[in-house]
Amino acid sequence: MSSSKRSPIIVEHLRKQQMWDALSRGKRLDGRDFGEQRPLEIEIDVIKKANGSARVKLGDSEVIAGIKVETGEPFEGLENKGALIVTAEVLPTASPHVEPGPPDEEVVELARVVDRGVRESEMVDLDQLALVPGKIVYTIFVDCSVLNADGNLFDATSYATVAALLSAKLPIFEMQDGKVVDTGQTKDMPITTIPVSITAIRIGDSVLLDPTAEEEACMDARITIDTTPEGFCAVQKGFAGSFTIDQLKKAGETARIKGEEVRAKLRELTGKNG
Amino acid sequence: MTQTRNLIDENGKRTDGRTIDELREVKITVGTVKNADGSAFIEFGKNKILAAVYGPREVHPKHMALPDRCVLRCRYHMSPFSTDTRKNPAPSRREVEISKVMREALEPALMLEDYPRAAIDVYVEVLQSDGGSRCAGITAASVALADAGINMRDLVAACAAGKVDEKIVLDINDTEDKEGGADMPIAYLPRLDQVTLLQLDGRLSPEQFNECIDKAIAGCKMVYEVQKQALMHKYFGNETEMKEEAQ
Amino acid sequence: MHDVKRRYVIPGDKIVEGNFRPLMNVIKAGNSIIATRIGIAETGRDGVKVIPLSGVYIPRVNDLVIGKVVDHSSLSWEVDINSCFSAHLPAQDVFGRDFSPARDDMGRHFAIGDMITARIMAFDRTRDPMLTVQDRDLGKIPRGEALKISATRVPRLIGKRGSMIQMIEQATQTRVLIGQNGVVVVTGRTPEGIKLAVRAIRMVEEEAHTANLTQRIKVLLGIPDTPPQQQEAPRDAVSGASKPEESTIDEVEEELEVEEEK
Repeated sequence: MSSSKRSPIIVEHLRKQQMWDALSRGKRLDGRDFGEQRPLEIEIDVIKKANGSARVKLGDSEVIAGIKVETGEPFEGLENKGALIVTAEVLPTASPHVEPGPPDEEVVELARVVDRGVRESEMVDLDQLALVPGKIVYTIFVDCSVLNADGNLFDATSYATVAALLSAKLPIFEMQDGKVVDTGQTKDMPITTIPVSITAIRIGDSVLLDPTAEEEACMDARITIDTTPEGFCAVQKGFAGSFTIDQLKKAGETARIKGEEVRAKLRELTGKNG
Repeated sequence: MTQTRNLIDENGKRTDGRTIDELREVKITVGTVKNADGSAFIEFGKNKILAAVYGPREVHPKHMALPDRCVLRCRYHMSPFSTDTRKNPAPSRREVEISKVMREALEPALMLEDYPRAAIDVYVEVLQSDGGSRCAGITAASVALADAGINMRDLVAACAAGKVDEKIVLDINDTEDKEGGADMPIAYLPRLDQVTLLQLDGRLSPEQFNECIDKAIAGCKMVYEVQKQALMHKYFGNETEMKEEAQ
Repeated sequence: MHDVKRRYVIPGDKIVEGNFRPLMNVIKAGNSIIATRIGIAETGRDGVKVIPLSGVYIPRVNDLVIGKVVDHSSLSWEVDINSCFSAHLPAQDVFGRDFSPARDDMGRHFAIGDMITARIMAFDRTRDPMLTVQDRDLGKIPRGEALKISATRVPRLIGKRGSMIQMIEQATQTRVLIGQNGVVVVTGRTPEGIKLAVRAIRMVEEEAHTANLTQRIKVLLGIPDTPPQQQEAPRDAVSGASKPEESTIDEVEEELEVEEEK
């Protein structure tokens, strides 16, 4: 069951006034344009024990994604494909408003939307990852820990997940006498494309890319759009307000253009193409 | 745990090349989590651990508040990608126990009676683990508490010693932990010369027991120097030597 | 000049041995005085204290604070004062003794999200801080740019008898309201002036404990060097001047400056 709740962050009227003044001049409180992303830092291979990992800083939002590859049973209905599971946890370190405990509806949504972007784009060629079709397949866990939350966890978590997958080394498993054995060798993750997530929010009539936590506390609605070079693969509208059709179509266009900029960065960093 | 293979070679080198009295490399950065009141990131050998402190702050739910002192809450948690095999994100019994002994290791150093009806939350997150993560976590948590400006009688430095190939060695790593003979983590208050955490996992003779304690305490003192440096560096930068003149 | 020794300390550091009086953020352990916080330890004639460089604001009676209204019941407003406790402003304080919930609308007077200057009227170990707005210049803040600094840097931002903040105000044509709890509100004639004032405030926050800060702020604000004899007028009560007995980081600075001029 999902119920309405008050935002834990109450933005002062003075601050809201400043925000409205700035918006009317086409700027945001931190001086950015509406369509401008905060500085994006991506570092790969930060957790050596994991099969792949990445640390992303998007403004002050910080996320680490770690990949563990095991073997297991395939998903029902997908017997000849490897399994891919994305989870996310917003750590209680991330902000004064987070309490330790099982993920709440916001965090579950975060994980599922990031997962959807990766899955629907078919970024990882899961067809190559069936060890014994129908019985034993590669299972790829991508677990994300949000260390510091300052808005737009959707994009930060997605970039960490994608960067980790692009740079991951897959352990090569073999069947020996009916048992799974790790040969000790590795190969690159089979990548087909690079999905990129772009999130924007609406405040009044302004649509703002890559919101800070403060902007999210004032938002009317949010939209997350995942694109590949071919087009769109996942979209999620969030929060209890609405968008006009025009705003949505424009957001889609922006997501493709900005998405390509981030994609170029990921390509350069990991040396992978999609 | 009875050992099955040699973990120290004929030159006295351990599995990671160290001698028996050598501490792994320890690096601490203070203030890495922007939203927290205090934080520290520690690299202790291959361990990578983040500690963040929020407090003193209001207690929720209100009825959990204590009238004459602060409530201290500690959480030790491992990220799923932190271990060799993936760990389920839900808290395990090991994490529950470590959270408890961690709290009991830190509490004696904090002046909780200065903050009645408030709470201090300490969150330790293991991002990569390689033996001795609870000691590294306590070490980082102590620095984070100082960073948060909580009144403390002393810092808490932690380090483990253990038995490997029938020798007492300082600061055991993951392999030594899994395959060695004994593991003894200790947390220590350097100025007060007091022990606030002591656990033993394995078998030691009476002589080995004493030797192990002494060795672990020596390790704690080395760790304390790193804590000091890290705090001085963040707050006083290059001006660590303030002029001690009388005016 | 009185005899004062200073040192950087972390918790657990022994500051001095002997029969000294423990003043603030220190404890007596046997024959020694030990620091309990990170900061600057000062040993003087009247005792030993540590000026802290970090820590959440702990309310003190009579402090002037700037808070944000976050909730209200029919009897009081709940105010976030950037501390470990929520503060309360009783309805009676505003509406008077014969206050009636039916007639006097709490939400219309102070709404959720409003920022107010208030004074801490009561606070002790057994209850949350209580506020009052019954004083000249207290009450709702209608406009301005709000920012938060560490409460430990407030004395440095105010300066001796208000010297630092007045210098910033005059150079940027702004008015700066400073709460002891680290909340600061800047109003001014021009956006550029406000921006510059905010930069100066942030610089003071980051470099509060270093020498030559006043000089660097002057450079930032574009103030030409003036002879040191100029006296500043005493700070008025609204901006919350620091209490005279408390040594401030500012005094450390002033003495270091005098030292350099010799």
